[in-house]
Amino acid sequence: MNQNGYVWKRTIFDSLMFAYLLCVVLVVIFDPDQKELLDLEQNFQVFLFGTVIGAGLSFLLNKKGWKTLGEMIFEPPFKKAHAEEETFWKTLSGWQLVIFVGVTFVVGLVVTRFSIYELLDEDGFAGAMRLFKGLVNPNLAILPKAVLNIVETIFMAFMATILAIPIAFVLSFFAAKNIMTSRTGFAIYISLRTLMNVSRSIEAVIWAIIFSVWVGIGTFAGVLALMIHSIASLTKQYSEIVETVSEGPIEGIQSTGATKLQTIWFAIVPQVILPYISFTVYRWDINIRMATIIGLVGGGGIGTMLIQYLGQAMWPEVGTIIMVIAFVVWFMDTASAYLREALK
Amino acid sequence: MTEPILQIRNLVKTYPNGTQALKGVSFDVQKGEFLVIIGLSGSGKSTLLRCINRLHDPTSGEVLFNGRDISQVQGEEVRTIRRKIAMIFQHFNLIPRHTVMSNVLMGRLGFTGTVKSIFGFFSDQDKNSAMKYLELVGIKEKAKMRADNLSGGQQQRVAIARALTQNPEILLADEPVASLDPATCHTVMDYLREVNKELGITIIANLHFLSLVREYATRVIALKGGEIVYQGSPKDIDEAWFERIYGVGTKDIRIN
Ligand SMILES: Nc1ncnc2c1ncn2[C@@H]1O[C@H](COP(=O)(O)OP(=O)(O)O)[C@@H](O)[C@H]1O
Ligand SMILES: [Mg+2]
Repeated sequence: MNQNGYVWKRTIFDSLMFAYLLCVVLVVIFDPDQKELLDLEQNFQVFLFGTVIGAGLSFLLNKKGWKTLGEMIFEPPFKKAHAEEETFWKTLSGWQLVIFVGVTFVVGLVVTRFSIYELLDEDGFAGAMRLFKGLVNPNLAILPKAVLNIVETIFMAFMATILAIPIAFVLSFFAAKNIMTSRTGFAIYISLRTLMNVSRSIEAVIWAIIFSVWVGIGTFAGVLALMIHSIASLTKQYSEIVETVSEGPIEGIQSTGATKLQTIWFAIVPQVILPYISFTVYRWDINIRMATIIGLVGGGGIGTMLIQYLGQAMWPEVGTIIMVIAFVVWFMDTASAYLREALK
Repeated sequence: MTEPILQIRNLVKTYPNGTQALKGVSFDVQKGEFLVIIGLSGSGKSTLLRCINRLHDPTSGEVLFNGRDISQVQGEEVRTIRRKIAMIFQHFNLIPRHTVMSNVLMGRLGFTGTVKSIFGFFSDQDKNSAMKYLELVGIKEKAKMRADNLSGGQQQRVAIARALTQNPEILLADEPVASLDPATCHTVMDYLREVNKELGITIIANLHFLSLVREYATRVIALKGGEIVYQGSPKDIDEAWFERIYGVGTKDIRIN
């Protein structure tokens, strides 16, 4: 029973791929105009039709012994063990992969309007050269201001990380499967994981926009945005560490009559503390880079300064700012790498 | 005759995945016994011990501890049971990064408030008793060392000291010497015997080697496929019994 659960995954995979290829073929044949492309309902029906055909096709082919790509990817290990090796171009799944990658590449060229002509256009090229000239001749007069602003950015990242640590620390235990074993525990685990995944999938930039409406444009909005994102990321990473701890010490502490909290503190925390610190340092490092980007949308710090000069096309000033950012990012990156190495 | 310290009645344990690890096990343990449980790997020995101190929840049946059924108690009561029925493990289950002393003090967790223990406030009395038991197992001088810097035998002795610090009535030992070399093995077993004889603590131990069973046990129970197949004196286990428990063609591996 359970061994054939993979058939679902295989069928979904194959049918989605088939529907996609079918849609591409249809677009090429009928060359639809803008209005037709925007008809979501009709297009969805076509796509759905494709998946149904694809599912049937996938099922038939596999039944006949022609292994589809879905079968290759999802077939369980016990079946793989018996499979014979074949050169890829002799197999259906090999061709399926080649066609998929080939078609996607061509579609990609069209969709992104990739153009060698634009790249080599003389006017455009000259414009870019002026820009580069400005960048490599930075205006050092604004260096003090840039330094002040990047310090602000570093502190933004620092505050966001520091504030996120205790919250993520506590949440991580509630988001670990091996701790939330009871039925209510499992419900909490699922809802917390979902909540964290959702807030993580909302980019920090979006959070920054939300918070700058809420608390006003500036560094505080930036800190809040980074904090939300850090809590979500750290909780996920922390809880994954909690899920890999060894059972032995937990049983050992439990057997003394310890409470749940004592068990977590004495059996789990010592096992996770070093990886926690390591992930946290890395998070700070990431936050500095993100803080720069967030500044671009009004989160304060060096990013805000950068966008001002960018808007006025003041390339030498932009050059200075980029230089300062590059130096700090490089420094933090190296420092955090050394720190994390030492903590192993 | 006095009341047994432990009475197991028809104990059944079925794991969530459907494995029936214990299929109705019944036996009594008298105070002061050194009871040894033998049986093949997978016969249910570990499960049995963990159902007694409630690291696992029994599916049905009774576990009477001093006459009271503890098989279904919950919460605070489970912790009281665990405090009174201490346990040591095959892989010692110490906290590797902590000192020996700190590990032994864990035996007092059940008596100490959560907040107090987290901040490391153990009473002088607790520390003295920890020291006393470290001395009893002969590693007092290692008190300040990190637990993971000790040899296997020493770690198991720390685990014994931790268990004793709980002032238990019963000590469960799940294959306490299975990951030790033969020489160390006897040292640890000798300490367990001392705990049994001198402190009067009832011991229930899972063991693998018949030679050890003959040397240390006052009584033996053999499990096979989650059922008791032998109960009696270690002297009465002969080759025929041995074959019944471990399968035909097995020879006892002697450790000396
Ligand atoms: N947590 C568990 N979940 C499911 N089955 C288990 C679990 N622990 C043990 N078992 C199974 O229960 C049976 C008895 O195991 P165990 O008590 O560990 O035996 P022993 O200690 O004698 O080797 C084995 O078949 C084992 O696979
Ligand atoms: Mg076992």
